[in-house]
Amino acid sequence: MKTLNLVSVLFIGAALTLGLAGCAHKPVSTTPIPNGNRNTPPPSPQSSRDTGLPPGGMEPTAPPVTITPGQQIPFGTNTTPWSDVIANHNEDAETLKPDTVYFDFDSSTIKKTEDKKLEDVSTYLKGHMADALRVEGNCDERGTEKYNLSLGERRALAVREYLANLGVDPRQVVTVSYGKAKPAVEGHNEAAWGKNRRDDFILLTPKTP
Amino acid sequence: MKKSLKIILAFLFSCTLHAQVPRQIDIVKSNDATRLIPISISGFTGEADSVLKFDLSVLGLQVTTADNAEYLISGSQNASLEGRLQPTGPNSSAGNGFARAYSGGNTRSQAHAFADDIVKAIRGTSPIFHTKIAFCRKVGPIMELCVSDFDGQGVVQMTHDGALVATPAWSPGGRQLFYTSWKSSYTQIFEHDAATGQRSVFAAYGGGNFNPSISPDGKKVAMILSKGGSPNLYVCDSDGSNLKELTFERDEASSPTWSPDSQTICYVVHSGRASLRKISVNGGKPQPLPTGIGGNLTSPDWSPDGRMIIFTSGSGNFTLWITPAAGGEAEQLVAGEDPCWAPNSRTVIFTRQVNHNPVLSLLDVPTKHVKDVGQLSGSCSQPAWAR
Repeated sequence: MKTLNLVSVLFIGAALTLGLAGCAHKPVSTTPIPNGNRNTPPPSPQSSRDTGLPPGGMEPTAPPVTITPGQQIPFGTNTTPWSDVIANHNEDAETLKPDTVYFDFDSSTIKKTEDKKLEDVSTYLKGHMADALRVEGNCDERGTEKYNLSLGERRALAVREYLANLGVDPRQVVTVSYGKAKPAVEGHNEAAWGKNRRDDFILLTPKTP
Repeated sequence: MKKSLKIILAFLFSCTLHAQVPRQIDIVKSNDATRLIPISISGFTGEADSVLKFDLSVLGLQVTTADNAEYLISGSQNASLEGRLQPTGPNSSAGNGFARAYSGGNTRSQAHAFADDIVKAIRGTSPIFHTKIAFCRKVGPIMELCVSDFDGQGVVQMTHDGALVATPAWSPGGRQLFYTSWKSSYTQIFEHDAATGQRSVFAAYGGGNFNPSISPDGKKVAMILSKGGSPNLYVCDSDGSNLKELTFERDEASSPTWSPDSQTICYVVHSGRASLRKISVNGGKPQPLPTGIGGNLTSPDWSPDGRMIIFTSGSGNFTLWITPAAGGEAEQLVAGEDPCWAPNSRTVIFTRQVNHNPVLSLLDVPTKHVKDVGQLSGSCSQPAWAR
């Protein structure tokens, strides 16, 4: 299962992207509203909308990514649509659980104490080039959701940048912020808050055909 | 329902005919927006009585005895509601009394319409008691989008995704709801027709897609995207085209809110600490919004009349503050977070922590009077007032 190399993954991603391009813009679903007017025709699908997803998918021959330390790393056009990642990968929250990275209050700076964990994650990803990593940024309960959404995303991106600086291909790493909506532990003191200001690592392993 | 209400009788009291010329000081006193005004209510029972008391309290009209009241509110309620407002005491010659009857709709709707007229007469502000709010309701690990009347009545759950949802925002007029959804396991911005339930993905770029905010003219959508490597402020047309990055922060931007002319966006930059900035919808150099206070300033909301910006300050105990939209000395209001203006530019809905659980609450900004929204199940947060 782990014998696929990165080029294969990219090629599969490109194929899936091309295959799904025709339906990427349709409404995802309809939520029934009690007492809603069911006779009103639905708005026409906005077929011309640019969702920013790559029109042609990834190039299997994409040039190697050059990382300058301290630089922010765009997702660019080399991003597989999330629906494809979900449909074609198993989620593994256990393998890298011991490497969960913790943050100081209101900060997205990677602490020295977390270096070793990220080296472990880096080593793992370099040895499993077919896997992808979802970095999930989280915050403690203090502050508004809007603010914490951005802070959580920044925390996830900080780890993505750190891994790239260690030589991980950033195209292997996707991010998601939960803001303060997904605490690891309940509680309203620093003991709980410290455990909730974190990046969780979810390995995305390709499903066996 | 509001439109179906028909005012079948309306006439002004002619009490001014019998009154002396009012002293100037009485006029100033009764018009003072920052003062709680004592009123009495008589003749109503059940739902009509409770709706009137709730609504009028939201605008800083405080129920007391007839002897101490500055306005007597009386009437009766059967199939239609008959209501009367009579200024009394020192301002009995204020000239803003009336007597009207309200039919059609239901008792709640009739009482809301009477309350709107009372508020118009006493406070001079536009009606809000038939407006809607959207909010997020968390039950266990699941958060769904809900819509209700402004007072928390008539809750309709809009999403049934069994996932998380955040940052709801209305298009002008309340037809569309935009929000952040984790339905796909990643953040995407959805556009959702509130009447038909039809929805589509509005933004699904690489990285984070969250915190949409629709311009008051309905033509633009501001949002936070991290496709460039950091969470920054972007704007696009209402059909999703013409995406443009407005900020280029190394750390993060959040919380866009629009000026009423749809030309300027106020937002939050986190760089060391969180502060408020303004930027043209066309981009350019961001301008700091001076507030005269330190600390982390987050979640601004620009008043619909354009005069004020309300925001949250704090790191542990959060409070609401208000500052002139052009910048100036901010004024502290009450404990709370995540404020959103009503269409009347006077009332604000916000989140208040009660035993570490968020509760939706209503603030009358000039009087700082706070009234919790009616009982809602689950943890309710991130209120957005349709306007």
